[in-house]
Amino acid sequence: MKAGNLVHSFLEQSAERFPDKVAIITQNERISYKALHSRTRKICQYLIDLKLKNGDRVAILTDQVCEYVAAYFGILEAGGIAVGLNTQTSEKALAALLSDSECAVVFTSSRFQKYYSLIKSQNSVRRVETDIRSIWEMSGEVPSTEPVHKVSLEDIAQIIYTSGTTGKPKGVMLRHSNLVANTESIVEDLGLVDTDRVMMVLPFFYSYGNSILLSHIAVGGSLVVNQNFTYPNVILDQMVKEGVTGFSGVPSTYALLVNRSAVKNYVFPNLRYLTQAGAAMTPTLAKELSEIFPSVRIFIMYGQTEAAPRLSSLNPDKLYEKTGSIGKAIPGVILEVCRPDGTPAAVGEVGEIVASGKNIMAGYWRNPEETKRVLKNGKLWTGDLARVDKDGYLFIEGRKSALIKSGSHRIAPKEIENVISEISCIHEVAVVGQQDKILGEKIVAYVVVKPDHTAVGKEIIRHCRLHLPSYKVPHKIIMIDELPKTTTGKIQTALLKNS
Amino acid sequence: MNDTVLKIREFIIENFLFDASDDALQNDTSFLEQGIIDSTGVLELVDWLEEEFEINVEDEELIPENLDSVNILSAYILRKTGE
Repeated sequence: MKAGNLVHSFLEQSAERFPDKVAIITQNERISYKALHSRTRKICQYLIDLKLKNGDRVAILTDQVCEYVAAYFGILEAGGIAVGLNTQTSEKALAALLSDSECAVVFTSSRFQKYYSLIKSQNSVRRVETDIRSIWEMSGEVPSTEPVHKVSLEDIAQIIYTSGTTGKPKGVMLRHSNLVANTESIVEDLGLVDTDRVMMVLPFFYSYGNSILLSHIAVGGSLVVNQNFTYPNVILDQMVKEGVTGFSGVPSTYALLVNRSAVKNYVFPNLRYLTQAGAAMTPTLAKELSEIFPSVRIFIMYGQTEAAPRLSSLNPDKLYEKTGSIGKAIPGVILEVCRPDGTPAAVGEVGEIVASGKNIMAGYWRNPEETKRVLKNGKLWTGDLARVDKDGYLFIEGRKSALIKSGSHRIAPKEIENVISEISCIHEVAVVGQQDKILGEKIVAYVVVKPDHTAVGKEIIRHCRLHLPSYKVPHKIIMIDELPKTTTGKIQTALLKNS
Repeated sequence: MNDTVLKIREFIIENFLFDASDDALQNDTSFLEQGIIDSTGVLELVDWLEEEFEINVEDEELIPENLDSVNILSAYILRKTGE
C-alpha cells in the first residue's frame, strides 16, 4: 500500500494490480476489480455533473451489494461524504438521519419505494437516484480524466450513525486518514493478502462491515457477499463453493452457526481465519468453534465506530490461555485503562478504556457537546469498562452507558421507552437487555399501565413495529404492578436486567 | 385451505406481520425475499413448529427448501408428521 493513500485509492490500486481478478461475488454476479473501478468512476462523474461540492453528504440506502460498493467509492472519489444508512429502518428513524446529515443526494433502490416521498420531502435533497445500476449501464465511456475535486487525507470520508444513549443518533465523522490507518492496521494484524477471500455476512453500513470491505479491497482480495443470515446453511454452502479463506461475524453469528446450523457436517479446506468483533467470546463458544474449525485461526477483536473501528485483537494462540479477553491494541493504536481522573488504573483494577491513534474519529457530526464528552486531548474515552491483567491483556467488565447490545446492534433503551410511552394507557416503562444465548442480549420491556386501564403485550409490540426498526422491537413485554425504585425514585434497572 | 396452512398463516401474521391483514400474505410468498423473517425469526418459527406439531427440526433441515413460504412449510410438516 502506498503512502498518502485516500480510502478510494485502495480500490484504484487494486484495480491497477489485479484488473481481471474478481473483487465482489454475490449470488447473481461476479465483478472484477476493473469493472468495479469503472462503475465507481461513472458514479463519481454522475455526482460531479450534479455539481456535488467537497464535503456534501450523499446517503446510500440499499441492500443491493454491487450498487452499494460502487456508490460508496464513487462518492469518496467525487469528494463527497458517504452516509451508509441502516436498511432496517422506519419513517421516523430515516427522517431523523436525513434531516441531521442534510444529504444532497440519496442513492436508494426499489425495496425502499415506500420511503421515496419522505426522502424527496427533505429540504437538502437535490436528487434521489432509485436505479443506481443505470448510472453505469447507461453512461458511455469511463471518464479518462481525474475527478476535478481535490480530496485530502484530513477530509471527512464517511459519517456512520450510532445509537446515542438518549436515543438520538450520533453521526461519527471519519476522515480518510482514520479509515486508511485502521485498514492498514487490520491488514497487518490479520496478515491479509491478495489470495484471501472473505465470506461477508455483515452489512456494509456497519463500521465492522465497512472495515471488512476496505481491508479486503486494500489487499486485492475478494469478498463473497451474502448479507442475509436467515438460513446459515445457505451461507455454509456458499463458503464451500467459493473456497473462502476467511469469515467475519459478531457473537450472535457464531452462536447461530454453532447452535442452529449443520456446520459440523461441513469441511472448509481453504478456511484460514475467523474474526469476531462486538464482544469477547465465551469459553464454551471458543471451545466449540475450535473443535469445529481445528486448524483455523480465531481472532477476537474489539472496536468502536468512533475508532474506524477496530482497537484490539486477541492473538489466536492465546484463545484458551486468555479466554474472555479482547486482547491487546492492534498496530498503530494505544489503549489505556484509566480512572475517571485520567490516571492509569492498576493491574486488575476496573477503569475506562481510552484509545488513541490515527484511527480516532474527527468528532460527532454537528454535535460539539457529545464530541467534547468523549474526545479529550485527542484521546477517545470509549465508555467501555475493563481491566488489564499482568500480561497486558484487556478484559471487558461492562459499559458506562445503558446501551443494549443485541445481535450486531447497539440500542438505546430510552428510544424504545419513548415509543412505548406514546400509548395512552402506559404509566411507566423500563427497557433493559437480558442475557440471551444467541443474541447476547434480548430486549425486554417492563410495563406498568395506568390504574383502571389494560394493555396487552401484543398491542405494545404492534405499536413498536409501526414506529421502530424491527431490530429495536422488544422480544418480550412483561406487565408489572410497579417498577423497582431506589429511595430517590430512580428505576433500578440492574434488578430488572437480572430478574 | 387445510388446517396446517391456516395454523401457519395465523402464526406468521400474528408474529411477523403485526400490521398486516390476512390477505397481505400469499401462501407462496418467500419469507426470505420479502424480509418477513430474519435469522432470529427462523428460530422462533422452529420452536413453534417443534411444539405445535411435535416434530424435531434437524439442523440440516434449516434451509429455504423446507421453511421459506406457507406452502413449503406445510409440505415439510406433512413429510415430517407422516414419517
